[in-house]
Amino acid sequence: MPVWLREHSWRQTLTAVYLSLPLRGARATPANIFCSEQYLKVSIPPFLFEAVLYAPIDDTNSTAKIGNGNIFFTLYKKEPAMWDSLTVANAGKEKLQYLRENAVLKAQEKAKEETEAKKITKQEHKKYALEATMKLEEAERKRIEDLKEKERQKVAKELEFWKNQQKDADKYKSIPKKGELYQETEPLEDRKNEKMNKTSIPNEGTSKIIPKSTKGHGSCSIFSQNFKEEQLPAPRAAATIKVSFTPRVFPTALRESRVAEEEEWLHKQAEARRIINSDLSELEDLKEEEKNPDWLKEKGNKMFAMGNYLGAVNAYNLAVRLNDRLPLLYLNRAACHLKLRNLHKAVEDSSKALELLTPPVPDNENARVKAHVRRGTAFCQLELYTEGLQDYEAALKIHPKNENIEKDAEKIRHLIQETMQSS
Amino acid sequence: AAAGLERPQVVSHVQQALNYTVFDCKWVPRSARLLCLGSAARGTGLVQLYELHGARLELLREIEKPKPIKCGTFGATSLQQRYLATGDFDGNLNIWNLEAPERPVYSVKGHKEIINSIDGVGGLGIGEGAPEIVTGSRDGTVKVWDPRQNDTPVANMEPLQGESKRDCWTVAFGNAYNQEERVVCAGYDNGDIKLFDLKTMSLRWETNIKNGVCSVEFDRKDISMNKLVATSLEGKFHVFDMRTQHPTKGFASVSEKAQKSTIWQVRHLPQNRDIFMTSGGSGSLHLWKYEYPAQRSKKDSEGSEMGVAGSVCLLQNVTLSTQPISSLDWSPDKKGLCVCGAFDQTVRVLIVTKLNKI
Repeated sequence: MPVWLREHSWRQTLTAVYLSLPLRGARATPANIFCSEQYLKVSIPPFLFEAVLYAPIDDTNSTAKIGNGNIFFTLYKKEPAMWDSLTVANAGKEKLQYLRENAVLKAQEKAKEETEAKKITKQEHKKYALEATMKLEEAERKRIEDLKEKERQKVAKELEFWKNQQKDADKYKSIPKKGELYQETEPLEDRKNEKMNKTSIPNEGTSKIIPKSTKGHGSCSIFSQNFKEEQLPAPRAAATIKVSFTPRVFPTALRESRVAEEEEWLHKQAEARRIINSDLSELEDLKEEEKNPDWLKEKGNKMFAMGNYLGAVNAYNLAVRLNDRLPLLYLNRAACHLKLRNLHKAVEDSSKALELLTPPVPDNENARVKAHVRRGTAFCQLELYTEGLQDYEAALKIHPKNENIEKDAEKIRHLIQETMQSS
Repeated sequence: AAAGLERPQVVSHVQQALNYTVFDCKWVPRSARLLCLGSAARGTGLVQLYELHGARLELLREIEKPKPIKCGTFGATSLQQRYLATGDFDGNLNIWNLEAPERPVYSVKGHKEIINSIDGVGGLGIGEGAPEIVTGSRDGTVKVWDPRQNDTPVANMEPLQGESKRDCWTVAFGNAYNQEERVVCAGYDNGDIKLFDLKTMSLRWETNIKNGVCSVEFDRKDISMNKLVATSLEGKFHVFDMRTQHPTKGFASVSEKAQKSTIWQVRHLPQNRDIFMTSGGSGSLHLWKYEYPAQRSKKDSEGSEMGVAGSVCLLQNVTLSTQPISSLDWSPDKKGLCVCGAFDQTVRVLIVTKLNKI
């Protein structure tokens, strides 16, 4: 229940009402005051003061002064008349209610109108500002354009002047030039005949004869052109310089690079690494590191190096069960099988490795060569020499400069010839 | 904005639309005339001679030849003769007298495939020594010709027997400061740059800049080698300091990435060898200035001299076209006047202002 503030005092003039409201210690802010045309309310919880005014007031111009524990209202009457009392007498509850609501509604409408008006003025201001800046920029641009235009014109004038100079100079030159032309055609033909005889000489590679003849020719004519020629050195002795070009490195000549294939290969490698065949229940028995295919591969390599081929095969087997997309596992396992004379398995593994080593890029060249060589060896040991030779030749294609492969390929060819001869 | 206007401006003076593809454009020395070389729609070669008249180009002469023409140079001709040497799509090197163009003054089928680039030295009263022309072709060879010797080149730089060939995209003469010295620099499509010394007939230096070399040029042909600019695909160009050659590291260089597209051409301003312009595949032109370092060479840990590269700063850039600007030539007579040809079948005459203030 609010505490009503009733100790207000007021006085009036013909046009205004002065209302003084003591606040009994409460602090007031503008937010606590609500005023409309005929309704005044001050609400500072728990205190409450309200008045339904005797006559409408001009609430936009009326003021409220807060200070000294007191609010001093200056309310300007809409119609200058003396009020009988501050508030409307005998105001029924419903009427009060109605008036209150009305007041609130009116206040809201006013607030809305005010915001609308504000928005409109803001937009107009913006527009104005924009236009002003545009004008300024236009002016700036025009100034620069004018400067440029002036430059252009100045330069064009200079050009014309220079050109006329040239023209005059040319006129003086053209007359003797015509005379020269006639004189030139004769020695030109003479020279051509001379040259016909001379063409055989440069091919022989001797350069001494040439300077002599030009000098000789120069002495028997009197034209200024040929005098100049005598001062010029003789044509150079023909020679060739051999060049070699930078080999095709991937980043060079981008348009020839095999970017797409390289990308594919890298992508595949990345994928392969990510695969973990985790659907094996035996895995739970393994130690953490034993679940890593790379670690297993390393283990396998070490065992191979020490001669423990069975152990190596086991390591690779486990690695393959974990990740069947790593070509190097198959490659190395193939080598083990070769040593163990499991030739069919060696062939299988090499083939699987080659399958995984597509697309063929410089990156996986070494691996592919090894795969071909191992498979080739397996075939030969199975006495399938033609298939073996095919693999060796494929390996040679990738690494043509490898002498060992070349030698082995030769041997196989001999073997094939012998078997053909004997059968 | 005021500071910006103090920099050199590239003013487009004349634009001329052509009805053929222009591959090369060159100023005729000592005149206000320029040449456009290219390929007509019906597969023949065209040479057009224009003269600058106020704000337009007037066509003086049009010469049609059986094969499309890729490149041309006045570098090996005298100022009186002003013969044009051209390389065409069929590998023929021809020298023409433009007053009587029916038959070439010199002609040789120099290469098996298109001649991509041509340069001339010893002419126009610049430098000393015999006039020579060098051509670089898609057949992987670079050949040097003397117009006084028919049919055979005086130097031939070709791949080793059995070696796969790379297209040669650009050639340039340099170091021609006396009668004996001369070098040829060649750039290839795999990024190789090779420097051939014609006096000793040997390979003097080679390097690889990873991307195909579109254009090479020495800052001056007729002085002791000073700087070499090589431009490449993917917007990069390298400036090599050619004064000091280290036995293993070669020449020092600085590189700059100008834009995302190919840099088709580099041309040094004839009147100032430290200013050069690059033209790009995005239709833009960039004007650069090279700043020398405080010390051009220093000793390395073993006591050998090595060069120190300077720095490059951009003076101005402008976009003229949506198509690549494939050819560029400064006028040797008027500072700042240049012509460029683009693949949008337009040739433009430009004036670069304020170059005196650099």
